[in-house]
Amino acid sequence: MIRKTRAKGTWLVATVLAVGSLFATALPAHAETGVSSSEIKLGITLPLTGAASPGYNKIGNAMNAYFKYVNDNGGVYGRKITLIQKNDEYSPQLSIAKTNELILKDKVFALVGPLGTANYTSVHKSVGLAKRGVPSLFLNTGFSGFANKKSYPSSFMILPSYAMEAKIIAKFLKENHAGKKLGIVYQNDEFGIDGMGAFKAAGTKFDVTVAYTSGTQSAATAQTWVSQLAAGGAQVVVFFGVTSATAPLLAVAAAAKYAPQWILGSVGADPLTLRALGVPLAVLNGAQTPAGNPSPNDTSDEYVKQFQEINAKYNTGTAFDDYVLQGMNIGLMTVQGLRAAGSNPTRKKLISAMETKGSTFASVAYSPLGYSKTSNVGHTGYYMAVMDANGDRKPFGGKVTLYTTDSGSGPVVVSTFKRPAMPAKGLPSNS
Amino acid sequence: MQKLLETFLIGLSTGSIYALMSLALVLVWRSTRVVNFAQAGQAMLSTYIGFEIASRSEVFWLGLLFAIAAGALLGAGVDFFFMRVLFKHAVSGPAAVVAPVIATLGLLGLIRSIVGLTWGGEFKSIKSPASTDGFTIGETTIPFSALNLLIIVTVFVILIALAIIFQRTNLGLSLRASAYAPEIAQLAGIRTARTRTIGWAIAGGVGGVAGMLVTSFNFLSPYSLDLLLVFGFIAAVIGGLESMVGSVVGALILGIALTFILNYVGTSLVFIGGFVVLIVVLLVKPDGIMARGKVRRG
Amino acid sequence: MGKKITFFIILGWVLLLIGDRVDELRVYQGAQIAMYTIALASIVLLTGYSGQVSLGNGAMMAVGGYAAALTLNNLGSPVWFAFVMAVVVSALFGAFLGAAAARLSGPYLAGTTLALAVGLPEIANQFAFLGGVPGILFDVGLPPARFGEEFTQYKWFFWIATFIALIALFITSNILQSRYGRTWRAIRSNSLAAELSGVHSGRMKILAFTISSALAGLAGAVLAMTISLVAPGAYTLALSFALVTGAVLAGVSSLPGVVFGALILVAIPEVADVLANRWGGGENLNNYLPGLIVSVLLILSVIFTPNGPGENLRKHHHKKM
Repeated sequence: MIRKTRAKGTWLVATVLAVGSLFATALPAHAETGVSSSEIKLGITLPLTGAASPGYNKIGNAMNAYFKYVNDNGGVYGRKITLIQKNDEYSPQLSIAKTNELILKDKVFALVGPLGTANYTSVHKSVGLAKRGVPSLFLNTGFSGFANKKSYPSSFMILPSYAMEAKIIAKFLKENHAGKKLGIVYQNDEFGIDGMGAFKAAGTKFDVTVAYTSGTQSAATAQTWVSQLAAGGAQVVVFFGVTSATAPLLAVAAAAKYAPQWILGSVGADPLTLRALGVPLAVLNGAQTPAGNPSPNDTSDEYVKQFQEINAKYNTGTAFDDYVLQGMNIGLMTVQGLRAAGSNPTRKKLISAMETKGSTFASVAYSPLGYSKTSNVGHTGYYMAVMDANGDRKPFGGKVTLYTTDSGSGPVVVSTFKRPAMPAKGLPSNS
Repeated sequence: MQKLLETFLIGLSTGSIYALMSLALVLVWRSTRVVNFAQAGQAMLSTYIGFEIASRSEVFWLGLLFAIAAGALLGAGVDFFFMRVLFKHAVSGPAAVVAPVIATLGLLGLIRSIVGLTWGGEFKSIKSPASTDGFTIGETTIPFSALNLLIIVTVFVILIALAIIFQRTNLGLSLRASAYAPEIAQLAGIRTARTRTIGWAIAGGVGGVAGMLVTSFNFLSPYSLDLLLVFGFIAAVIGGLESMVGSVVGALILGIALTFILNYVGTSLVFIGGFVVLIVVLLVKPDGIMARGKVRRG
Repeated sequence: MGKKITFFIILGWVLLLIGDRVDELRVYQGAQIAMYTIALASIVLLTGYSGQVSLGNGAMMAVGGYAAALTLNNLGSPVWFAFVMAVVVSALFGAFLGAAAARLSGPYLAGTTLALAVGLPEIANQFAFLGGVPGILFDVGLPPARFGEEFTQYKWFFWIATFIALIALFITSNILQSRYGRTWRAIRSNSLAAELSGVHSGRMKILAFTISSALAGLAGAVLAMTISLVAPGAYTLALSFALVTGAVLAGVSSLPGVVFGALILVAIPEVADVLANRWGGGENLNNYLPGLIVSVLLILSVIFTPNGPGENLRKHHHKKM
């Protein structure tokens, strides 16, 4: 009996000591969280490893490369930008844990480019981003729900929504593939369901519908998708999922000698990554995809050319592809946002700057930006592109025909919008 | 009818890889009474080494050979340096039940971390030694490819080789004797400790083959063999941990059953399907399918 | 009994006071520690006392989490009732599992629970009402207004989690010190002898599974509360492994040790993070260093203190005396 109490007593002392030491941190107050006289801290959660990481894991480093370039050229009103990357392996639980770290431990000023639909919905609710007033700029997801300003007052999208994308694809199908048997493979979470809802509203009827659960994509499961598609005789197949699911789908279809017309949703369509995952060039040739940016190989485009130079100097060893382009563009937009928040930025000022000036920012994508006091929407349109025999992307029909629309019932229209010019040397000077 | 045949053939191919893993687990269990979770870690490390050789030489089989060698060395090493230390210390108290399990789990985590730190978490792939195109019979293409066939044949060859070693050689006799009755074997002059290490080496080599075969059609990452471990273990339990033939039979049954569930029921129920198969078998025969009356317990 | 109640009450007050003095991150971690404490208690009871090795307590946590979320969302019940349902539903599951597994032992039991740990959470992907991969929201609501503006959501979680953990530990401690606890230990050391003394070992084993699962389910509901979410990804195989790890590190048959084990489980990623940043960072280090530290710690502790640090202290005492 005595021994037991003694042992228990030792436990109690040890525990209290340990707990005490863990809890004994007191922290100094900041003027504005994440902003000091010399530094602005930003945070991002994205899949650096894991099933969904191929391709997307380059975005953070690309953003960082751009920030380093800006830092070397004076920073933002003299402050250097520090980007803290946290790996969430595309898992919402990890996103929550890592975002908690970013906000409570690293004390970042704002989140930029957090990736993943389910990830962000979980994080926003669980960490209470709205209540804390933490700005989340340029969410790397197209879920239409995020455009709702009332539910997401401090978040700003950048990609066109999946509903917009689906509506544009639906119009394209009607105009160019009328009368053919249609199939669709989509990820059955909010990401894919967003697109499916819009297809339904646009009246697109699919003869074969295949849903897959995020995380189950593999050669084995792709086998079952292809069996269903082939059995249903689908001649045109739309794919709404991540790149690591596109790859087995295309590879297995090729092995089974099933060759429909592929229409790959923008999220999972980067040719370079697909080839790295084993998809033969011959399969990609002729695949159609909605695109928002020029091809990353198009050096005649001023944005692409400037970004490529920055990439060569600050991100050596990484091939310049869609994801690097996307990352650098987010960096460019972020710097403009930070500048617009003024020389003494606060979180509130940043949000207000995005609402009032965000729609005029320079971005590599062709479509107009929709930020306002009542809207979180970023880019609003796509053009259709085709992959050629070199794995490069060319506009369908020879030249870029830009379509814009909304996430609701508005029509899909051809747009004549001209995007702003790239700031000189890629360094924003807006205010 | 065709779908049935496809499912059966693919299940056979999948199951034969599980058979290698479950065989390795049973080998170790019979000689040491330990479920070696680190088997997956050993297989993983061996496969990474095999991957390095295969990607440099562009020859899959060379990589496989190196994976076997690495696996054998690793297996022997783990037994010699790790298990002996473990058994010297952790033998009493309530934790004796769980200590070896935890220790091998810890070893798995350790190997995984080392692999991750050395190679990173990026997906890697090895060029497959055979075509992955499905066989075309007349009009239809079935999803069973030359690679699937190659896997079945390779596993078959290894099983025959092991059977010959165990049934026809002195080494095999020593292995079986040391596992069944170590004290008597020692009295008969068999160096049981050394024999046990050889058993671990064989298990390690077999695990290396399993890892390489899986990686011929799946991406390689520090986590890519986890499922192989789980299903290999389930297969071993289904077959009854005491019998090597049982582990192979159990693995084939599991492979076919899981593929059936994948094709006919739904992709999200595959894992729970494994659980159901297992619990059904164990409810009827708590010591596994191949268990006969006299079974060494404990 | 009186002394024990006093002890728990004082402990509760101390924790509350500490909670007031620290920043939000620590408070959040406090809630996680409370959650792990309950989960580890389930392992101590099942493995440490009744000798049954389960690798699937993570699955039981999932059952509790989903039960709580479904109750809260679909029945519109008060929060405390959701937690009660978590306990009840997972206890039922545990009883079933125990009954099915009663004849199994050692590696056969381990294998079965392993299969469950891998398979059960995936079921949520198949049935829409279980929310699929993104999961279901579990919102316990804002802290009461009278606590003021400064009382953060995470502090509220800490209060609820700590309260639940203290109650759970108190009850579990009583159970373990009762004749049930003694009977389990008897079964663990020598099942045959126990049977001969009139113990229904099968029934006792099922009882152990039931109570252990109830605790795990409760922990699962607390986990859901801290991330406002139940989803399959929160209850991975890695969680089941972490629980067994924590239990062994702290002494698999020592109930007071669970607090220490919980602390370690929460502290290690933190420590590893700091170390990784100190040593130059880079994703590889960040991703794999925590695993390395845990594995090394685990191996060392299994080899040298398989029954937890408490055992060595006791042995030391013996020598002194």
